Amino acid sequence: MAYVAARGGERAIAEAERLYRAMTGPIDANRVEQLQAALPWLIDRVMGEASLSAPEMAALALAQTGGDLYEAVLVLRAWRSTQPRLATAAPVLQEALFTHRRISAAFKDIPGGQILGPTLDYSHRVLETAVLTGRDFVPEPVTPAADPAPAGQPSLAEWQRAQGLVSALPATPYVAPEDIPDITREPVLFPAPRAHRLQALARADTGGTLALGYAAMRGYGNAHPTVNELRLAEAEVMVRHPSRSFFSAGRVKVSQAEVVSKGRADTLELGFAATLGWNEVKVIAAATLDLNAAKAPKGSPVEEEFFLYHTEPVEASGFCIHFKLPHYVTFQSSLDAMRGASNRDAKGEAPLPVAPAEHQTEPAE
Amino acid sequence: MMWRRGSFRVLSMTEDRRLSLLAATDPASLKALAEMLLPKLPDVEVIQSRTGLVMLPMRDTVTGTDFHLGEVLVAEAHVRSGGATGYGMVTGRDLEQAMAMALVDLAGALGIGAADIMALTRTTERVRQAADDAILRRVAATRVEMETF
Repeated sequence: MAYVAARGGERAIAEAERLYRAMTGPIDANRVEQLQAALPWLIDRVMGEASLSAPEMAALALAQTGGDLYEAVLVLRAWRSTQPRLATAAPVLQEALFTHRRISAAFKDIPGGQILGPTLDYSHRVLETAVLTGRDFVPEPVTPAADPAPAGQPSLAEWQRAQGLVSALPATPYVAPEDIPDITREPVLFPAPRAHRLQALARADTGGTLALGYAAMRGYGNAHPTVNELRLAEAEVMVRHPSRSFFSAGRVKVSQAEVVSKGRADTLELGFAATLGWNEVKVIAAATLDLNAAKAPKGSPVEEEFFLYHTEPVEASGFCIHFKLPHYVTFQSSLDAMRGASNRDAKGEAPLPVAPAEHQTEPAE
Repeated sequence: MMWRRGSFRVLSMTEDRRLSLLAATDPASLKALAEMLLPKLPDVEVIQSRTGLVMLPMRDTVTGTDFHLGEVLVAEAHVRSGGATGYGMVTGRDLEQAMAMALVDLAGALGIGAADIMALTRTTERVRQAADDAILRRVAATRVEMETF
């Protein structure tokens, strides 16, 4: 491998960026505000993948990148890295969530009932083309119930444990919030601590997680999932006052899923995933990967090392698009080798001895 | 740690609850109260006024493992006066809101403006409860009433 120092192209690069920015035009606070109001699900997706709950910043990232999701996640993560870490909140507990939606596909009559919340699950998906001819689409208002739903909905897994359907929670030593393993501060080693796996899935790429989770669902895994519980909710961010009191600094949107499969013994096996923002596809797919990981063969899409390495959005998209950057020397070297082989063929010479082929990969750096 | 499901339905007006309600107060009202109280506070020293991140862990329901769900952008303010401390932290990046919370907290610690602070937190409590009830009544409308044939 050789490197060639080169210069030039500064003007072209500057103009190329201007050409790109011209596609979105000037960005003002009003546009950011409108994006935040109009695209809550997209904002949530960006926040989840950027691992940062900051709706206004996510809207700005989308405005600035013209909706290129990987660029938006990249600039949001980059901005996040400029912010100091001030504290670690108390762990979010399922039973403390302010719940907007809680359903189970495995059990019909669950404690607390099936709460559909905001969803299109049972609706026709029809493009409202009349909007383009001047007829506004005005959604029907919700008819509120006479009584509010309980803010908290009981845990389905706990209900199943009480009936002996799911294994009891293992005894886990107490870990102070400040000591929870953190993949942003330490490398992921395999087999990964469960805290690393769940954190990586929480910030994973939605599309990548779906692709691998879908592979498992179609049969390239070892456990077929059913959604045990899906929950969209808000969590209080409980922080500590200098007087040691705990208080909520505000609420953030979270989603979580459990998927269930019949285990080998007489109990059900569960997979779990959660993320910042409301993103059902991602948490169901990620929980499916969690469910399948335990018995996955090496190199399978549901093996922990495989799916954690390949669903990291910034690394994966960055590695993919680096291939469009100049590779002139490496490619020229391949071309020279190819021409040499052709010349030897033309002259009837024997091919050069070749070392045993190894699996060829591009170094990530 | 003393909070319950629904978390704003917490016990009585404890210190925890008072702080939670101050953080949930609409920013304009909170800033107005802080501006009213500020002239009454002796020599306020600002220790911290910044934005930053709070790590948000979550407990996995399958094994009970705590893991980091992600980070939350917050604004933080920390002030001191007359041997007392005031602290504010709110989600988002509004430094003035966090500072207003810290100043109101400081005033409360010094026994200044107690009636005004209580009135505002009670108002926030009512507003918050009404907003939560409105959300939860709309959520309740989506409950499936099962019928088995």
